[in-house]
Amino acid sequence: MSIRVLLVDDETDFIDTMVKRFGIRKMPVVAASSGKEALERVAEQEFDVVILDMRMPGMDGLETLKEIRRVSPLTEVIMLTGHASLETGMQGMNLGAYDYILKPADFDELLDKVRKAYERKQLNARVSS
Amino acid sequence: MNANNSMPEFQASTPDPNRSKALLTKATGARVWRDNRFSLWLHFLVPPVLAALAVAATFAAPPLAAVLVFSVLVLAAFSARELMTRLSLAEESRNALTAQLIQSQKLAAVGELSAGIAHEINNPIAIISQEAEWSTHLVGEAEAQCQADFADVRDSLREIRAQVDRCKNITHKLLDFARKREPVCQDVDVARLVDDMARLVDKEASYKNVSFVRNLPQDLPNLRTDAPLLRQVVLNLMTNALHAVSIGGHIVASAAYTPQTLEISISDNGCGIQPEDLDKIFNPFFTTKPPGQGTGLGLSMCHNLVEGLGGTIEVKSTVGQGTTFTIHLPR
Repeated sequence: MSIRVLLVDDETDFIDTMVKRFGIRKMPVVAASSGKEALERVAEQEFDVVILDMRMPGMDGLETLKEIRRVSPLTEVIMLTGHASLETGMQGMNLGAYDYILKPADFDELLDKVRKAYERKQLNARVSS
Repeated sequence: MNANNSMPEFQASTPDPNRSKALLTKATGARVWRDNRFSLWLHFLVPPVLAALAVAATFAAPPLAAVLVFSVLVLAAFSARELMTRLSLAEESRNALTAQLIQSQKLAAVGELSAGIAHEINNPIAIISQEAEWSTHLVGEAEAQCQADFADVRDSLREIRAQVDRCKNITHKLLDFARKREPVCQDVDVARLVDDMARLVDKEASYKNVSFVRNLPQDLPNLRTDAPLLRQVVLNLMTNALHAVSIGGHIVASAAYTPQTLEISISDNGCGIQPEDLDKIFNPFFTTKPPGQGTGLGLSMCHNLVEGLGGTIEVKSTVGQGTTFTIHLPR
């Protein structure tokens, strides 16, 4: 089964490119353009990995992260930060994010991190079941 | 509230038996015995040899007797000195072990205690917060009915809500701190992990004109460990280092390995830690920052996380010269 990825970012251009690139690698990606929408998607179906932009209007990345971890503790979250914000990054890690990646994200690096996050989720599911 | 849940559960944690055994072996010198079997045998042979030489000296002719007595004295002095060194070494490592044991038990106890308190305080805080909101609502209604000015009351209520939020923040951090997370181990490229975290600190470091050097060997092996927990520790230590250095300072992140362990060190040339604070810095709530800026939980959380990963964390510091935190992880 392929990895179920949710991509959350308010920049539609970025989302379009990413959905295409993940599609080429046979990894269907669900996109959400805000924290609120992301939580709706998470409520609808289970995701393995969420790629979450930290800087979004409305509900910001940290709040969304907190909420995702609460409703779906096994889902791993990779933070996406446009500007290297140390404070946000640290809070995110402390809230249980799996990793972060700096924008502009190198696609192969991102893919690698997604795989690693997925591997952890599988291991975690085995431990807790 | 019944009596059972009003008392925070208080348990001293028992350290991992395997690790304790290893430490004990080290402390009691059993390892020394295995490594230096031959030289220890020689030491045990010294007393009978000395006795034999002494007896020989009494019967020998004067020049030979003098040589024998001299060699007896030299041998005795050498052996005594060697044994003394060994004894004091063993004593030292025993003291270190005891200190480490007390430290980790203390941390575990304080952690449990504070989690219990945080849990209990959360409920009244939630009620205060609700009541403050309700009062704000009531004030709004009263304002609509009469023409009086309630701005001061509003201000006061807002402040209550802000302070309650602050309390909530602390209790949540505390509960988070005491929660035991089972590590989920996967293959981790440690050099990359450290570099990744360093990149997050880079920008902030450049604002302060701080040079952030990575000293990561090319051939650093992968480690089976919990990646996000290790990231959390490394990032916390780097952030601390950045806070400690002044403008134009240096931070070095380095890694090294032996067949048994992998080490990650974060050094800075900042203000250093006062010697009397050194054994307190891993205590929860210990902070040198002004009140309201930092809960004093960062390093004790690092300590907990590293212990959870089966490793140890140590600190070396000289006031005015800088501080080095080193994480030792089992391979």
